Amino acid sequence: MELKVNQDNCLGCGVCVVACPVNVSISPEVAGGHGSKTEETIMMVENGVIKLFSEDKCTKCGTCQMFCPTDAIWLE
Amino acid sequence: MPKHIVSGLKYLTAVELIRQGLSQKEVAKILEMDRSTVSHYLNGRNLSWNSIEVAEIITKFCPKDFLTLTYALLNDSEKTRIIVKTCLKENYQAKVEETCIGCGLCADTCLMNAIVLDDLKAQIDSNWCCGCLMCRDVCPTNSIKILEVEDGC
Amino acid sequence: MVANTKEVIDQDICVTRSSADEKREWSYKDELCVGCGICADICPVDAIELEPIGGIVRTGAEKSKISIDENKCVLCGMCSVGCPADALDLKIDDKSIKEMDSYPKLIKSAEIDDETCVFCKACETACPREAITIARSLPDRSKLVTGEIEIDKETCIDCGICEEMCPADAIIMEHHVPTSVDPTVSADIKVDKDKCVYCLICKKSCPVDAIKAVCRTCSYGDYDLNPEDAEIEGSSFIDEDLCVNCGWCQEICPVDAATVKKAFKGTLTIDQDTCTTCGACVDICPCDVLSFPKPAESGQIVEKVFKDEKYCIYCGACEKVCPVDAIDVERTDVDYTPTKSNSWKNKMESLKS
Repeated sequence: MELKVNQDNCLGCGVCVVACPVNVSISPEVAGGHGSKTEETIMMVENGVIKLFSEDKCTKCGTCQMFCPTDAIWLE
Repeated sequence: MPKHIVSGLKYLTAVELIRQGLSQKEVAKILEMDRSTVSHYLNGRNLSWNSIEVAEIITKFCPKDFLTLTYALLNDSEKTRIIVKTCLKENYQAKVEETCIGCGLCADTCLMNAIVLDDLKAQIDSNWCCGCLMCRDVCPTNSIKILEVEDGC
Repeated sequence: MVANTKEVIDQDICVTRSSADEKREWSYKDELCVGCGICADICPVDAIELEPIGGIVRTGAEKSKISIDENKCVLCGMCSVGCPADALDLKIDDKSIKEMDSYPKLIKSAEIDDETCVFCKACETACPREAITIARSLPDRSKLVTGEIEIDKETCIDCGICEEMCPADAIIMEHHVPTSVDPTVSADIKVDKDKCVYCLICKKSCPVDAIKAVCRTCSYGDYDLNPEDAEIEGSSFIDEDLCVNCGWCQEICPVDAATVKKAFKGTLTIDQDTCTTCGACVDICPCDVLSFPKPAESGQIVEKVFKDEKYCIYCGACEKVCPVDAIDVERTDVDYTPTKSNSWKNKMESLKS
């Protein structure tokens, strides 16, 4: 399984960034909705759309997919 | 040619079995041949000396090559194991360690049918072990030790 | 040489090895797999890998929860013996090793005593694996009450109020549109005495007092009721394949009819500080041990994830799925049938953490 994103669908809402348990443990400020300050996180919203940075850290728990309102991020 | 080598191997086996004290009738039964053919063999007839020489060389191969080549020629596991065991000069002792998990891979691999499983552990009949080491190579837990010993056990 | 063959049907997998002497067949049923990964841990040749179970279970992906390298597998059967959900099996010459005494077996069971069971279906509702079916036949309602009812058709004005009011649908009228030949609105009115419970609602609601009814149970007590007529009969069934022996049936049963024996004992610890409440553990747990608690009043701080170890089988699936290592499952005891093989004994002991 691999983490995939579709930037065309992405609203840039950042719910996946905040919901991702790995992101939150890497960068606690993510949990407060302040946006990541490090590219160490799995994903971030950049220029209004989601972008993957450290996808190798993804444990494929499926949380991002469950929360994304537009199916812009998923496991395949 | 393969047929000739088989004849050579059967000749060597027949000679050895007679030397061990078996009758011609018994030898014929074991090798599934006519008694008259055994008699011809023992008298050196119906057989080229060349075939015997090639067969002799084969018996001196390492046990694994001897065994697999014989099996390839005969395609009969029962006769293969008799020929190999009779013509082999060396004796082996097999030991199975406690780490054996009873997967049965060795039993499936052994062309000599020397291995059975008992209480999730392989039991190797040293009398039939030909020292080919195929079981040892296939064992996932390195539980098989094969030793060459001086005389029969 | 001996080679294994692998067959994949949907998410199920089958690996076979055949020789002249025996046929070994390893099978995996994805539907039964709880994603605990014990098979991958116990495999002596590292042939099994646990796939990302969180993603598979939560996104409904059509993907097996484990994968097996058929070239590494030696078909020893250790994985099937360790599997707490019976998702794996090894058959030697078509006989499961779970039926062979030489192989160890996890000691686990779930039973419902039909003699004690009152067939309330609480266990059926609670079972997280939907493994329980309770079949019951209820007594005839008419046998539990006695009484008398009569409708005076002369007085009856065919208004249909009793029919509409009757809670047991025991009054049936034959409505029709009146014609000059037959200027009535109903041809007949009948009472089905098998359905009637003598509640007297019809009598009380009749605008013209056309119904005479009496309930004997109310007026004279229970004396003319036969207790045998009130008996509820039924039977219970536990699907052993689906059952993971979690103990929900035992805990919820009001009459202690269910008995569950678990193979593992242990502890389940959740680090509430590390937990990010992603819910992967809640979704993967085969036993509904975990849940998100709701605060009783606003502003109250509750645990992030609530657990009740009564139902835990210590399979460790939650620990494996947790993306931030907030869960620790320790197995302190493993109950299994004896085996003469030391290597198998060691492997069974290795299930303890």
